[in-house]
Amino acid sequence: MSALISTRTALALLVLGLLATFPLWGSAYFVGRVFSPALFFGIAALSLVLLAGYGGMVSLAQMTIFGLAGYGYGVLTVTHGQPWWVGILGGLAAATLAAFLFGLVAVRTQGIYFLMITLALGMVVYALANQNRSVFGGHTGILGIRAPELGGHLLTERALFYEVCLVTAVLSYLGVRYLLRTPFGLALQAVRDNPRRLAALGYHVALHRLAAFTLAGFLAAVGGLLGVWYNGAISPTAIDVTRLINVLVIAVIGGLASVEGAFLGALAFILVTNFASSFTERFNTVIGLTFLAIVLFSPEGLSGLAARPVEVLRRWRGRRWRASDTLDVRQAVGRQDE
Amino acid sequence: MSWNQFVTVTLNGLTLAALYFLVAVGFTLIFGLMRVVNLAHGSLYLFGGYVGWTVADRTGSWILGALAAAAVAAVAGLALQQALLRPIQGQDLREALVTIGVSIVAADLMLAQWGGFTYGFSPPAAISGGARLPVLGIGYPKYRLFILGFALVVGLALWLLLTRTRLGITIRAAIDDRDMVSAVGVNVQRLFALMFAFGAALAGLAGVVGGSALSIASGEDARYLLASLIVVIIGGMGSLAGTAVASLLVALVEQYSLALFPTYAAIVSFLLMVLVLALRPQGLFGRPA
Repeated sequence: MSALISTRTALALLVLGLLATFPLWGSAYFVGRVFSPALFFGIAALSLVLLAGYGGMVSLAQMTIFGLAGYGYGVLTVTHGQPWWVGILGGLAAATLAAFLFGLVAVRTQGIYFLMITLALGMVVYALANQNRSVFGGHTGILGIRAPELGGHLLTERALFYEVCLVTAVLSYLGVRYLLRTPFGLALQAVRDNPRRLAALGYHVALHRLAAFTLAGFLAAVGGLLGVWYNGAISPTAIDVTRLINVLVIAVIGGLASVEGAFLGALAFILVTNFASSFTERFNTVIGLTFLAIVLFSPEGLSGLAARPVEVLRRWRGRRWRASDTLDVRQAVGRQDE
Repeated sequence: MSWNQFVTVTLNGLTLAALYFLVAVGFTLIFGLMRVVNLAHGSLYLFGGYVGWTVADRTGSWILGALAAAAVAAVAGLALQQALLRPIQGQDLREALVTIGVSIVAADLMLAQWGGFTYGFSPPAAISGGARLPVLGIGYPKYRLFILGFALVVGLALWLLLTRTRLGITIRAAIDDRDMVSAVGVNVQRLFALMFAFGAALAGLAGVVGGSALSIASGEDARYLLASLIVVIIGGMGSLAGTAVASLLVALVEQYSLALFPTYAAIVSFLLMVLVLALRPQGLFGRPA
């Protein structure tokens, strides 16, 4: 008689159960200040993992799109006094459109060029937000942004907000996992591995990349809405170069090609920033050094670190585990010198 | 726009272009030769600026400050290349990630050392104050004219170096085909180290030269990194002429749009980049990948 559910599913359900009931037994600080932001930053990192790990496109503009969703929501609800649902739809639409436009510019390039162009795009949007008063509110940005209300409860009440973040994160996670198994997802990974061969097979490489970039942009925008509710305001600092890089740090810490890693990385990142900042002012140095160590020594990040013992064991048995071939970031994110 | 305003804005654009050229030329040559995108290039600029300021402040000599900035940045660049980049040579994306990590740490350590203050330089008397320009009939700071001249000299020297000397010919050959140059017996590793140190020295020197025209403060690293990125994306990677033309284009467009419609100036440089990428993805002077 076969088991009703596999160990894997049981484990996943257990983790999900623990996470769902976390506000009941976890400390208020961890629920509100650690896990909630880890979930929405995790969604932003997930969009990068989808692009970098599975599409071979290391984008540094994901936080810009995240921020633009916040700006969209803020402009519509605060500046124009629209109801929250208009803000949500408008914010998502504006950020996804921006992602589509960025994609149009960037997908023609590859590898290192892609990284540079998305970084430049992100920095240009930051400069625009900083200079422009009429729409972006200049240096101060937009203050007093209110989250939607759900049955008389403001969405930013601690436990409620956490649950909303959790549900959104789980849906995003499952969505990405599903997407990667669809024909489109497989084609995307093939584009990462060998764009020329895919083109020869009749696939439109640039179109696949553009679609992936826009989709990832939508994902980042969803995270961005949660982020702007959490902060209650948005300013150019939310999309400055440090933030753009932070999401890359999160994704690399978690493992650039690991869907779960996006959330693990976000959690690790927030724990380090919160706790390192209580005993040293130089927590950015701590983060930078952690990032460097991971890039240099464990390119698969924390999730790779967890897989290491397994790999060592298999090697010791004399059977070379295939996944060990991808221990190199460059290979994990696609060959660059095609 | 009045005539005087037009001339001033144009001159501002030209001197800014000179500064962009000084910063970006090291960035593009390093990329051309080694395929390393040094995202810590802005940090080297800022580091040079801070060190130069400290030395100039202690010794009272601006020139000593500038030389110290170049030397210290060269050493820092060399250390970065030898210690962190050489072990992972050839993996361009990983190298870029490493330089990002370095820039995070560097920005934080420099903030710890020099704080969030703004530092200003006082260049030698011979190049400070204003000058009345003949023909154009307006007054303009001498120092900014000095930057323009200095960048021209550096550009010309680099062009002579690359086209007329044995070292330059080797470098150009290595940009075209590293493996072949290595196969004919050139020590490519030494060439890489030299180029990295040289590019870093130029960035550090630009820190003092540029910092004297504007100022040095934390955050400038990102600004000059962006300028370098846009200049090399537009000009084409690894091209000296491309860097010069793109510096001019970017700086002039930036200054004119700042004068005409200040709040949308950022959009204009974005559009410039988009336009170039749409027409020539490899940049104006770049070769197809």
